[in-house]
Amino acid sequence: MKRALVIVLLAIVAMPLLAAMAAMPRFGSAEQPAYTHVAKRYLERGVEEAGAENVVTGVILNYRGFDTNGEVTVIFTACAAVIAVLAGSRNRQDQREAASSVPESLVVRYVVRLLAPFIALFALYVVLFGEVSPGGGFQGGTVFGALLIVMTVAVSRNQAERLLPLRIRPWLQIAGPLSFLAVGTAGVVLTGWYLGFPQGATAATRLMLMVLEFGIGVGGATVIASIFWRLGDEA
Amino acid sequence: MTLEMSRLFDAGLMVLLVLCALAVVRTKDLLAASIVFSAYSLVMCLVWDHRGAPDVAMTEAAVGAGVTTVLFLSAISKTVRKEK
Repeated sequence: MKRALVIVLLAIVAMPLLAAMAAMPRFGSAEQPAYTHVAKRYLERGVEEAGAENVVTGVILNYRGFDTNGEVTVIFTACAAVIAVLAGSRNRQDQREAASSVPESLVVRYVVRLLAPFIALFALYVVLFGEVSPGGGFQGGTVFGALLIVMTVAVSRNQAERLLPLRIRPWLQIAGPLSFLAVGTAGVVLTGWYLGFPQGATAATRLMLMVLEFGIGVGGATVIASIFWRLGDEA
Repeated sequence: MTLEMSRLFDAGLMVLLVLCALAVVRTKDLLAASIVFSAYSLVMCLVWDHRGAPDVAMTEAAVGAGVTTVLFLSAISKTVRKEK
């Protein structure tokens, strides 16, 4: 009896929901509201309004800068959480020496050493050309972070860590949120809005986009490497 | 590439994706599961690129196939390899 009642109630709830589903535009249809207003505006006027030739970058950093600001903060928070949870490793110097004495393949080590500068250059290219071609701060940052991890595994942790000196590492870790704070404040001065960009591809807009790209890239790479290194520490 | 070929390519990728996902869930050996998961990310990266999202494809390749796998591996090396 109770079961039948539940089924009837569920059916009553399901009917309007299914009817609403049927009234929605078809999956992937060009009539969807998302494609008729926002996407059209982005594609038609994105380049002149947002100041980046790559529309994706314009959307991520300019139109939806607040979303990206939140995402960058989440990444930094993740790093802070991992470091806080896995804190408390003593005499790290001993461990590092122990870690670098792990037997490794000479071929892998040589190839990684050979490729490292090119990978670093590619990461920089992806960050710098994020405005005009696919890529950007986060993509370039992850490539550089992956390079740091590969160097830790194949060469030595000391050498990889030297690229991000301990003294300034906290600043590198928070580079993403910091760059958003700086650009957001610049937006307040220039336009009166937090993260407001001047219209069009002015020098100021370009500079602001570049600062964001670099901040996201440096922050992303440092966070990835820091999490990896902290996981490698003995608890 | 013609439209039919493109569709066929897409369908093949989707089948691979589902197979990889099932393999990840069913494997008891966590090391093997992590490696299959990185293969899943690689296929996903092809899907993104094929669907015209090279930005996301790049991120998927670096984060999904690279960094996540490494983090999983270091987590496994600190715990146990077999799922109970």
